[in-house]
Amino acid sequence: MGELLLEQVVNGIVAGSVYALVAAGMTMIFGVLRAINFAHGEYYMLGTFSAWWVISRLDMPYVASILLAVAITMAIAAVIGRFVMQRLVTAPFQSGVLATLGLSLILQNSVILTFGGTYKVFPGGWLEPVEFLDMSFAQQRIVIVAATIAVFVALEFVVRRTRMGKSIRAVSQNTECCAVNGIDVERVVLGTFVLGTGLAALSGVLTGPINVSIYGGMGEAITLKTFAVIVMGGMGNVRGTLFAGWILGIAESLVAGYVGLQYRDAVGFVILIAMLMFRPQGFFSVQARF
Amino acid sequence: MTLHSPPIQATAAPRPAAAVRPSPWLGLALLIALLAAPYVLGNYYLHAIIVSMIFLLPAHGLNLIVGYTGMLSLAQGAFFGIGAYASALLAMHFGTPFFVNFTFAGLVTGLIALPLGIPALRLRTYSFVMCTLGFVIIAEAVAKNWIGLTRGDMGLSGIPQPLLAIGDLGTKVTTITGYYYLYLFVAVAMTGLFYALIVSPAGRCMVAIRDNETLAESQGISTWSYKLLVFTISAAFAGFGGSLYAHYLTTVSPLTFQMYYSTTILVIVLGGGAGTVRGVVVGSILFVALSEALRVTPEFRMIFYGLVLLVLVFWQPKGLAPLLDRGLALLGLVRR
Repeated sequence: MGELLLEQVVNGIVAGSVYALVAAGMTMIFGVLRAINFAHGEYYMLGTFSAWWVISRLDMPYVASILLAVAITMAIAAVIGRFVMQRLVTAPFQSGVLATLGLSLILQNSVILTFGGTYKVFPGGWLEPVEFLDMSFAQQRIVIVAATIAVFVALEFVVRRTRMGKSIRAVSQNTECCAVNGIDVERVVLGTFVLGTGLAALSGVLTGPINVSIYGGMGEAITLKTFAVIVMGGMGNVRGTLFAGWILGIAESLVAGYVGLQYRDAVGFVILIAMLMFRPQGFFSVQARF
Repeated sequence: MTLHSPPIQATAAPRPAAAVRPSPWLGLALLIALLAAPYVLGNYYLHAIIVSMIFLLPAHGLNLIVGYTGMLSLAQGAFFGIGAYASALLAMHFGTPFFVNFTFAGLVTGLIALPLGIPALRLRTYSFVMCTLGFVIIAEAVAKNWIGLTRGDMGLSGIPQPLLAIGDLGTKVTTITGYYYLYLFVAVAMTGLFYALIVSPAGRCMVAIRDNETLAESQGISTWSYKLLVFTISAAFAGFGGSLYAHYLTTVSPLTFQMYYSTTILVIVLGGGAGTVRGVVVGSILFVALSEALRVTPEFRMIFYGLVLLVLVFWQPKGLAPLLDRGLALLGLVRR
């Protein structure tokens, strides 16, 4: 029993790391745009599919596919950011919801049309088992957790110390003040968007190998779970997102193990609704940010 | 109280609709055209129109939320599915006539929406949108897992076709033309009911809430009760639509809770023009019946919906309604 519990917690942390990576981008985009990105999971899907394409059609190794997939997704995101996201800066919240919902439909169905709607197997990754605390895990799972922690440490540095990070924080606080003080708000929005989607794509490439199969509609479920993570972490709070991701991952894993696998996907939304009702500022922020 | 309050003029947003009204002859002409359709169109086109009439009812419901109180909800898909299950289960277990099932579906859905609305409506903007999306996911999980009632992933099949009965006399609707006339009757009646609601004093209060919630409240309108009422009525309309869906397709499964339905309803309302009845009617014909009739593949249809949403946000925020009005004015079919 004890071992099973430990195994589920570890699996939860792996799944939670994936959510946290995706959610970090979404929470930053929310911070600068005050818009919920309903298409965010699609960039995760694009990351997985780009890597699948690079490996299976171009015969490249997995390591190269990580870099290429993130680059391809960021390039697509740069175009979308330029023509759609930048225009949302001054738009009311409905516009953000509708535009990103529209983008999600376009991206998801374009991928299905291009690569077919069938389930595919991801052809790469490090799947050798590793012994750890009397349990064996695929190497890939350890890579995911390590990469996530590294990314969050780096993000913390970028957000706190660099000029770009400082302008991101400034735009999150007050768009108009930034404009008055010579910060190019639209550029910050574009930069944040491309960075955030890059993280989602990275998460997609890293999870590719441990996903049983990949298909065009896989991003939708991730988008929905990410909502729960960003609300738990406190909207716009990058640091809180990592712990919120782990909480969701562990909760899902425990529910799947002890209550029933079929209830797993509803966990996030029960948490989401409970959070919105009782603690809308999230676990890790003092003050409500929206 | 509200009857005697002075008319509230919107300051920020100009009042849509009210100024332009399509001539009543146009409605009559449309009705005659729809009544004559089975003599002209083939079965496949009738099917396309039936599907758009099924979507029309939840779209009216969403229009009440978006167009008349200014909130954005994605929960219509959940209530649509709940209505479909409610109607199907009643008909399968008790063999009740169609109009009993239909009414039951709306009532049950409304009763489920009422307690959900109480916490949800305390939320604003994004939080409300995310919360309503949560209802869809949770409804789907319940439909998948409450196997004793819903048969889980297998879904319900063999739902009886609509039974029209008065006393001992009963007849089953089986032909596509029969469905067409029955659903046309329901769609026209519900559209009339919806219209009666929005021109009533209660409807004017809802518009006041959309235009300026604080001002409405200061005029003695209980904004909270009205929002709850709107949420419940809109859910009931979705439930009515679900009932039509269940008895037409004769199967219901957890797939009914896919985002596809919520998205389609959203595109109909916003694309047609939130806050107008004619816009939503035209929207359901244009976005559902047309794509169904042209046999567009689902992927292309969703890409098209996505483009529609982008166009709406950036170029045509009021949907098709203003274009429609301009077109009607050119033809001289407008009453001022």
